[in-house]
Amino acid sequence: MEQKQLENLSPDLFRPAAGKEDLEKIGRPSLSYWQDAWIRLKKNKGAIFGLIIVILITLLAIFAPVFSSHTYREQNLALSKLPPKIPVLEHVGFLGVDGKDKDGFDVYKAKNVKEYYWFGTDDLGRDQWVRVWQGTRISLLIAVAAALIDLFIGIIYGGVAGFYGGRTDNIMMRIIEILIGIPHLIIVILFILIFKPGVTSIILAMVITGWTGMARIVRGQILKMKEQEFVLASKTLGAANSRLIGKHLIPNVLGPIIVTTMFSVPGAIFTEAFLSFIGLGIAPPQASLGSLVNDGFRFIQTYPYQLIIPSIVISLLILSFNLLGDGLRDALDPKMRK
Amino acid sequence: MLRYTLQRIIYMLITLFIIATLTFFLMKLLPGSPLKSQDKLTPEQITIINEKYGLNDPLPVQYVNYLGNLAQGDLGLSFQYDNRPVTEMIAGRIGPSAQLGLQALILGSIVGLILGIIAAIKHNTFFDYGATFLAVIGISIPSFVFAGFMQFVLGVKLQLLPVALWEGFSYTIMPTLALSGFVIANISRFMRTELLEVMASDYIMLAKAKGISQSGIIIKHAIRNALIPVITIIGPLAVNIMTGSLVIERIFAIPGLGEQFVKSISMNDYTVIMGTTIFYSALFIFIIFVVDILYGIVDPRIRLAGGRK
Repeated sequence: MEQKQLENLSPDLFRPAAGKEDLEKIGRPSLSYWQDAWIRLKKNKGAIFGLIIVILITLLAIFAPVFSSHTYREQNLALSKLPPKIPVLEHVGFLGVDGKDKDGFDVYKAKNVKEYYWFGTDDLGRDQWVRVWQGTRISLLIAVAAALIDLFIGIIYGGVAGFYGGRTDNIMMRIIEILIGIPHLIIVILFILIFKPGVTSIILAMVITGWTGMARIVRGQILKMKEQEFVLASKTLGAANSRLIGKHLIPNVLGPIIVTTMFSVPGAIFTEAFLSFIGLGIAPPQASLGSLVNDGFRFIQTYPYQLIIPSIVISLLILSFNLLGDGLRDALDPKMRK
Repeated sequence: MLRYTLQRIIYMLITLFIIATLTFFLMKLLPGSPLKSQDKLTPEQITIINEKYGLNDPLPVQYVNYLGNLAQGDLGLSFQYDNRPVTEMIAGRIGPSAQLGLQALILGSIVGLILGIIAAIKHNTFFDYGATFLAVIGISIPSFVFAGFMQFVLGVKLQLLPVALWEGFSYTIMPTLALSGFVIANISRFMRTELLEVMASDYIMLAKAKGISQSGIIIKHAIRNALIPVITIIGPLAVNIMTGSLVIERIFAIPGLGEQFVKSISMNDYTVIMGTTIFYSALFIFIIFVVDILYGIVDPRIRLAGGRK
């Protein structure tokens, strides 16, 4: 009975078993490290928000002062302390950008001003829109320059210590340990007292102790990488040093380096603002975000917009860098790959 | 442990010595002399003043004298405030700063720990996302912006709290909150990560297998172990509060050490700048040292290894 049923099966029902080639077929496209990281980053809403805001603020900082009819130092005492007034948004009551001061008095009408000052003007009649973006430009310049110099020194110092190891490493790390013991801000303050506040002296002051963090990270990474089996395997397979460095060491060390740099930028923005507060920041008429916030405090009761607007910009900027840094840390960690 | 402690003390002394030396020579490098603003002085007067401050001696002698005085806790006399000893000036200002710093540290630690524990227990829920979001905000918004925001909303608009000055407990609320924001954010973030890690460990699974209740596991086993690494960030956070207070005291017009330091910078009162710098540095280093030793005492793994890796 069973025999008969089996005989009735038609050959069409059969097909050859999958060959060995198929078993080894790669199921999904092979992705490079960066493509992979980008895919992970895109999934992180916070990081993308941060990235967009950072790009937006950077573009505004670069172009807003260029395309404005005012400059950051041009004074017009007749038009001082105008509240912010932005077209279209002026009809949205709660935003308070309708050109009326805190008592609801329309200053623009009273002074017969036709022009719209988007962020208002300060006590010397300088256009706050231009000053805020000019200030952002200076803050970003200082922060990015300090971060890049830290990166440069850190990679070399940490690389040498990690690569040679042993006694060299020991001595170099002891030096760093002592440097780390010195409070960062104290050194920055002393340095600026001597070299007078300015963009260059602020950058240099921040770099003096700022590079140690990066150096430690690079050293730690290199030390870890040297002992990994995949490096040994690659060596055993006859890989040249250039291939070892280019294919294995750099991609693995680059992630933490980028993340550390990402986090050191907001730190530097904060330090610069901090210096403005203790009277060691950028000197007027030049402005930075910190000095604008500091100046804004004088008018907290009467013209609060002078405090609020730069405060929002600096907070948003630091927040965006932190969100982006968080996202990058997750995205660039190869162990997160699913 | 003893060897570790001794090693740390030696490092501490080296660092302090370097800071003192650096401060001294940087101050000598400063352009101008403290007497420059008083141009009306006759040459004899200048000689007398220089003699009083020991400015006529050769630099190495000044340096040795300075180190000797420093070892005895003498930080010199103020240039601006009628020859008052710097030590006395610091002592007179430390009260409000210490109160503010401790309040901020205690408040920040308690709120941060609670937020972190809630976030870890309710992992991947609304509470977790809420606490994580708060932490990012707390780390990103600078204390002075937070202070300005509170002054504007609570002080100027709602008139709930005094905008500035230092005349009672209600005056301490806003500055304390402004300083503790960063502490709350950091501790909650750290506690969340640590607690999640501990909850995933084998001994927690063993406790579960033995039938201990969820709350029992969390209180008896998880939190206690997760707390140990949190101790390490208390040191850096205390340092952060102290530097933050430089700005916060100025914003709220609080007669503390930070406010005096900022004032001495704008007045070029070099001895006060120098003295306060060294005092701050010593305090920073001491706090980090205490926290490290504490960590060694609490965590047996470190005690046995004889030092942190």
